[in-house]
Amino acid sequence: MHSIVCIKSVVLSTPKGRMSRSPEKSVLNPFDRWALEMALQIKEAHGGTVTALSMGPPASESILREAMAMGVDQGVLLCDRAFAASDTLATSRSLTAAVRHLSPFDFLLFGVCAADSDTGQVGPQTASFLDIPMVGHVTRVESANGVFTLHRQLDGFLEQYELASPPVAMTIHPAAVEPRDPTLGALGTAFDSAFPITCLDIAAVGLEPRQVGVFGSPTRVLSVKPVDKKRVCEWIQGDPAIQADILVEKLVKAGLVG
Amino acid sequence: MDMLLEEKHRAVRQSVRRFCEREIKPIAAEIDQEARFPWEVIEKMGRLGYFGIQVPESLGGANLDAVSYAIIVEEIARVSGAIALCVTVHNSVAVFPLLTFGTPDQIQKWVPPLARGEKIGAFCLTEPNAGSDAGGIEATAIADGDTFKVNANKVFVTNGGVADTCLIFCRINPSQDPSAARTGISVVVAERGTPGFTTGDLEDLCGMRANPVCSIRLSDCRVPKENLLGKAGNGLKIGLAALDTGRMGIAAQALGIAQAALEEGIRYANQRHQFGVPIARHASIQNMIADMATQVDAARLMVYRAALLKDKKQPFSKASAMAKLFAAETAAKVTDLAVQIHGGYGYSKAYPVERYYRDARVTRIYEGTSEIHRMVIAKSVLQEG
Ligand SMILES: Cc1cc2nc3c(=O)[nH]c(=O)nc-3n(C[C@H](O)[C@H](O)[C@H](O)COP(=O)(O)OP(=O)(O)OC[C@H]3O[C@@H](n4cnc5c(N)ncnc54)[C@H](O)[C@@H]3O)c2cc1C
Repeated sequence: MHSIVCIKSVVLSTPKGRMSRSPEKSVLNPFDRWALEMALQIKEAHGGTVTALSMGPPASESILREAMAMGVDQGVLLCDRAFAASDTLATSRSLTAAVRHLSPFDFLLFGVCAADSDTGQVGPQTASFLDIPMVGHVTRVESANGVFTLHRQLDGFLEQYELASPPVAMTIHPAAVEPRDPTLGALGTAFDSAFPITCLDIAAVGLEPRQVGVFGSPTRVLSVKPVDKKRVCEWIQGDPAIQADILVEKLVKAGLVG
Repeated sequence: MDMLLEEKHRAVRQSVRRFCEREIKPIAAEIDQEARFPWEVIEKMGRLGYFGIQVPESLGGANLDAVSYAIIVEEIARVSGAIALCVTVHNSVAVFPLLTFGTPDQIQKWVPPLARGEKIGAFCLTEPNAGSDAGGIEATAIADGDTFKVNANKVFVTNGGVADTCLIFCRINPSQDPSAARTGISVVVAERGTPGFTTGDLEDLCGMRANPVCSIRLSDCRVPKENLLGKAGNGLKIGLAALDTGRMGIAAQALGIAQAALEEGIRYANQRHQFGVPIARHASIQNMIADMATQVDAARLMVYRAALLKDKKQPFSKASAMAKLFAAETAAKVTDLAVQIHGGYGYSKAYPVERYYRDARVTRIYEGTSEIHRMVIAKSVLQEG
């Protein structure tokens, strides 16, 4: 079994709305932690190897090392100046080229979305470029007699898919697994030694500058502004049982529970 | 700050912070109030390498450098001073001297279970009549066949209630060897479960309450002679070497508590409104925040510098003493200001700054009081001059 997990380095704090990508502020996209854990559990159950693949600036190397500390066998950084300003389509196209380069593989895993841009598009788009089946929001990967069944949970329904044969792409639901902490020793080793991180540029994966980055991206973001949310505080009176009833009624009416 | 750190250190900090916020922060107030040692978390920390931070991998440790060590203790202390105390004392004044002064056999026997957190270590120097004046200890070890008969009354032992492997500072055969009466201090390792080894009631402490600090008494306790650590009479040397490293750990602990207090102070100052504006708009509060942030920053530089010197194998004794003194005094001031920013709420257990304030207080006392640190630093500075 060879699993490839696509992971992203995201910037979580943007003081004064200015985005600067620096190693101190970059973290592994929290949603990718579940994908890494799922891949590691597949490896533990069925053997094989796990590759972590990240497209991003050189600072992304650090999340690949972190993934290796968790138990991933190989870290691959897809890094080239030409990738700058890629939208989700160009990113998916680039990842597709890298995944082909790393083929063969059985499972291609993604987080359901990235904590910074929150589109959820890269996983499905990559699967469609690769022309392989895709199951989103997977909660469990089961196997019996060599046949894999994928469970997924969406909108209050549980679905099960039997996999004809690998390869398959999936995004991993955040409730699927409990991501492991790397041991302190493994962290030290992953960062200390000349632990190899494979770096691939666009030529290595057979892409051309016009296919990626700003040239390969049809999306144009005109502006991004924070929305001023007006909060109003409302007091609910009465004894606690009545207060609870009123609160539940309000939440149901607002479509937040029910 | 970041110019002192490598990528590895940032990764260690992120990882430790995530663990501490998930596993320790939610129970930190409760274990403090109940004075409960949280075995459930300690076991997880053991599996992740927190009890053998600088121990070589071959002995079951994480083999990290001193800067990582300082960051780890700082991050634990940011959520719980008491758990940071457990980790730093175990690593720096129990495991470290065993690794440094132990024979290969002793290291093989004691270090791996300690490094994996399966056993907990303790450092037993203080006695009722010997605190700052460590040379005044009265514990004895009388050679008898292939054992020592040890009698000791050790007080304020960090981790005491749960410790398995205890470094006992004592005098060997003092009546036969008059020189041992004042200078001849030695270290023997006593293990829990040995007949004559008992622990007292937990101290009902002001802060650090989740750490089972208590007395350990050895009454005619038979310790095999091979449990002598280093040479007979080398106890003070071992103790001082352990404390050089230990102080860096306590400094990192004080820094973590101060950092937590700073963060809570900022959060509350932005959220609390009086006179129609957030109190952060009032100049007095801004002055407090500025002083707190500056002192925390300075303390952090001193702590990391001491650790870097240790990593570069340069003398770090003075730097670590200065870092301990400054970080402890900073923790005391910064937690005091954090309470002040919270007003009456800061004096209530409803907010964590009340706990930080209590926890910070003891960093000025243990592993050498601030007064003793000033003596040590002054001596070193005056000799240089
Ligand atoms: C929570 C906690 C955990 C501890 N853990 C450990 C442990 O794990 N192992 C261990 O061995 N000990 C431990 N201790 C003991 C601690 O190290 C001692 O309390 C400390 O060294 C001070 O000793 P003392 O309490 O006897 O005070 P004293 O030495 O009696 O000091 C009283 C006061 O006199 C001052 N003073 C003393 N001598 C001088 C001098 N020459 N010049 C100027 N001022 C002086 C001191 O600074 C202090 O202000 C712990 C203590 C606490 C509270």
